[in-house]
Amino acid sequence: MKFYYFHLMPYIMDHDAPSSWVTLSNRNYDPVVGHTLYNQYLDQLEEAERLGWDGLCVNEHHQNCYGTMPSPNVMAAMLVRRTTRAKIAILGNGLPLRENPLRIAEEIAMLDVVSGGRIISGFVRGISAEYFSTAVNPTRSRERFYEAAELILRAWTEEGPFPFDGRHYRYPYVNPWPRPIQKPHPPVWCPSQGSSETVEWAAQRRFPYLMVFTPIKRIAQIYGEYREACERHGYKASRYQLTVNVPIVVAENDAKARALAEKHVMWVFNVGLRMHPPFWRPPGYMTESSLRRLLANPPKPPSELGFEEADREGYLIYGSPATVRDKLRVFSDELKAGILCSGMTGPSHEQTLEMMQLFAEEVMPHFREDARVDETVGVGR
Amino acid sequence: MLQDGAGAPLLFLHGAGGAGRWLPFQERLAKDFSVYFPSHPGHGGSPAAEWIEHISDLAFHYLDLLDELGLERAHLVGASFGGWIAAELATMASHRLASLVLIDPVGIRVEGWIYPFLFGMDVPEIVATVFHNPMAALALAPPDQSVETLALQYRQGTALARVAWNPHLYDPLLRRRLGRIAAPTLLCWGAHDRLAPLGPCGETWAKEIPGARLRVFADSGHVPHLEEPDAAAAAVREFCQLHGGAR
Repeated sequence: MKFYYFHLMPYIMDHDAPSSWVTLSNRNYDPVVGHTLYNQYLDQLEEAERLGWDGLCVNEHHQNCYGTMPSPNVMAAMLVRRTTRAKIAILGNGLPLRENPLRIAEEIAMLDVVSGGRIISGFVRGISAEYFSTAVNPTRSRERFYEAAELILRAWTEEGPFPFDGRHYRYPYVNPWPRPIQKPHPPVWCPSQGSSETVEWAAQRRFPYLMVFTPIKRIAQIYGEYREACERHGYKASRYQLTVNVPIVVAENDAKARALAEKHVMWVFNVGLRMHPPFWRPPGYMTESSLRRLLANPPKPPSELGFEEADREGYLIYGSPATVRDKLRVFSDELKAGILCSGMTGPSHEQTLEMMQLFAEEVMPHFREDARVDETVGVGR
Repeated sequence: MLQDGAGAPLLFLHGAGGAGRWLPFQERLAKDFSVYFPSHPGHGGSPAAEWIEHISDLAFHYLDLLDELGLERAHLVGASFGGWIAAELATMASHRLASLVLIDPVGIRVEGWIYPFLFGMDVPEIVATVFHNPMAALALAPPDQSVETLALQYRQGTALARVAWNPHLYDPLLRRRLGRIAAPTLLCWGAHDRLAPLGPCGETWAKEIPGARLRVFADSGHVPHLEEPDAAAAAVREFCQLHGGAR
């Protein structure tokens, strides 16, 4: 199994506002605290490479305390020059949120060239709340996503200049300098919540599918749909097309790990993902069939998720190294996920680094049958 | 489309959430007019229409409907979002209108006012923004919380968002075209409208449409036809009868 260190770069705080997204006033953000946090978080990502993680993940979110990376490419740029081996996975750029998505093709190509071909390029629509923060019309989200993805892939693979005339994006000259170093282009991943349309789209293109903060039962269901779709398109999914993102807490013993998880991981769900209800469901962001599927079995808002339930449903992994190993076997052996993206949160920067070291020494080595395999070969392109 | 009454033809264009609600306002008008009350595409029982990209698509849609109904000239009454559509239509084809009544329309950019972002509001916030008398909101309450009802609300929100998310609730080109409206125009405005307040919104409309009359409803918010249906219907009836010629 491959291990990618995933960071949200949260601005951890308690508050009574109805939403941690869109409307939580930025007067709560202290840039001096932010300076320390950003640098600690970047240190953690750099340390992850030294400890043996295969990849480092950054991501895009806007106007919230949950994750303070409105530009993942800026963070990736910092990591590219401070690391030498690990893949840098940008999970991902919110394609429909950009008025000029050609800029994404350019920035990713820059990073790919500087890094010598270590970039993984996630394509996402952005979660619902981003449509309130950016004012992009959510009813156009899907169309813009497909069109921007086509534009970027063509910009990376076709010799320019060529004209592009879409419904949402139009360019008389597509001819970005530089071109990416990876051929035919950097691997593309699709982090998603499991809409059937995206599963199909990703499977058809061999783009790995990443489930973020999802209960195990649902991961198993979506993985099944993804594998089926791959077979329909005439190939068998590589295990490196199936990626899972789950928070992990590891400590000397189960009780200590549980106490840490209850406090720090649950903050992500209970506070970080607290959202004014309209922000969860902007009109037209989902197809009506996806909406009906959701309404038939409405998920609990993360802010109401209790620890026992999160534990039972597999939203997180915690325990001693031995317990974490056992729980990870479910992902590696039963779900057959090839890549585990996960971040760790301790009560302090130093304790997070200690937790990372414990995981790297006591857990990771037990999952290294594929140490010599390059997970990006033939995947994502 | 709902239809009732006898007399000169009157086309009513509803606001967001008003599809298919035949209420006292329509009832009163049907005593003197032949009232046509269609649901916008994607609203009420009308199927969603993916081809609708812009508010002018809806205006053309209702010009097509006038043709289809064989109405050479009709009274056109639009409320809120429906008022926006009606105003767009009037800038294109005033000659098809015996008269135009706009009830607290949205649709134009007004200096000094930004429409509060409806899509970011939950139901209590919407009620507080739209209604001066919140009891009047009960007339628009959904019958239940079934999957069908929720899916319908989502479809309606989607149809509205397609044309009204950004710019929010207006067409940047409409205001400078309002001068083209040649039909006799009545503006009905709730004195307590918090979505599109009388000052500056209603006053701007009154200034931009040549010869428009402005009638203020003292006990209403954004929806006088729901909050003061008798008075609103009487004002509409009086104005339309003054400007006959619908056929």
